[in-house]
Amino acid sequence: MKQERMFSTRVYPVLFMVALTVVFISVVSGIYLTTKDRVLLNESIFQKKAVLYAAGIEFPEDDSPKIQQIYEERVTEVDGDGDQPDYFRIELPSGQTGYAVYVRGAGLWGEIVSIFGFNPDLSTFTGVEFVEQNETPGLGARITEQWYKEQFRGKSGPFELVEEGTSDAPGELDAITGASRTSEAVLKIANKAAEVAKAKVEEGDE
Amino acid sequence: MAARGKIKKTFTDPIGKNNPVFAQILGICSTLAVTNKLENTVIMSLGVIFTTTLSGVTISALRKFIPSRVRMMAETLIIASFVIIVDITLRAYMPDVWKQLGPYVGLIITNCIIMGRAEAFALNNSAGLSLIDGLSSGIGYAYVLIVIAFFRELLGTGELWGITILGDWWTNWAIMVMPPGAFFMLAIFVWVVKGVIIKEEEETAK
Repeated sequence: MKQERMFSTRVYPVLFMVALTVVFISVVSGIYLTTKDRVLLNESIFQKKAVLYAAGIEFPEDDSPKIQQIYEERVTEVDGDGDQPDYFRIELPSGQTGYAVYVRGAGLWGEIVSIFGFNPDLSTFTGVEFVEQNETPGLGARITEQWYKEQFRGKSGPFELVEEGTSDAPGELDAITGASRTSEAVLKIANKAAEVAKAKVEEGDE
Repeated sequence: MAARGKIKKTFTDPIGKNNPVFAQILGICSTLAVTNKLENTVIMSLGVIFTTTLSGVTISALRKFIPSRVRMMAETLIIASFVIIVDITLRAYMPDVWKQLGPYVGLIITNCIIMGRAEAFALNNSAGLSLIDGLSSGIGYAYVLIVIAFFRELLGTGELWGITILGDWWTNWAIMVMPPGAFFMLAIFVWVVKGVIIKEEEETAK
């Protein structure tokens, strides 16, 4: 009797949890492994699209092999020591050699990571893409919308903020109504982008 | 016929007067967090419906084998596995939505509706009934969120599913897309449903 109770209260629950864990972990691992390549591909395509967009090179939105091909023709990754390239050397649509770099800075809620594209002079933007941000959806997160990102093309710093939809001089950036802190954060990032790019490219070219 | 009546009641209860969100006030964290864009809300709702349904069935099917002492561990393991499957699938096939939802997909695990239905229903009922209960609890959660998201996105950004609906004359109510907007909308929703619709039912019942 006593032994039976020992089994049902002590041993069986442990065996049950072990068996249940093994079964469910196997299923989840199986699904993870079958989608792993796809996830890695998604991430690499995401980064490639960001670099091409920042450089102002056109690409088909949903055609991964084509994006891959355009990227390989146009972009050289100059290696850093981490898992991200230090900077990108790019053949621009104009035929000149441009650059792109990762620029990071504090946003309102978390870090904003952006890729800035530059003309050969390393001070005029060819464009920008925000690859990571945690700004307020519908307000600060509007920095990822087309109209906002497009305004960076052809501009050069130092910048100042103007009211949403009114920027036209090369030193002016649209702010986002209702998201002053995010607008200021992006302003800071945009203002230091050229310095970051110069430092990285000069270091790489030595 | 009694069985059929029970099936019907199991299905309609969570959608109507015993709704998990507006009657039991469960799952509020995600109700507040993801409802500022309709698209994210729909994807989140599908994830929750998938998890409530399958975890209900699985827990119910195993209910005779789960030792009562470790039942919460077992339930959490089963629920977590289904949520990770949702997370991996989104990551592989809908990377853009996955990026926007971010940590909220993983947080489905802590959604009280799922654990609540497992404890209150799946442990005591057949797998078939638990399937219906899980499905209808998920749907009951989903439609409340979708209604809230509809108003928040429309009033907050003038758009629905990213498409502009209200013209230039519309001034966006920035507060709608921020966290306070969620509290206002949820409160108004609960007030309307409980104060107007359910009250009438009670009065006619008397």
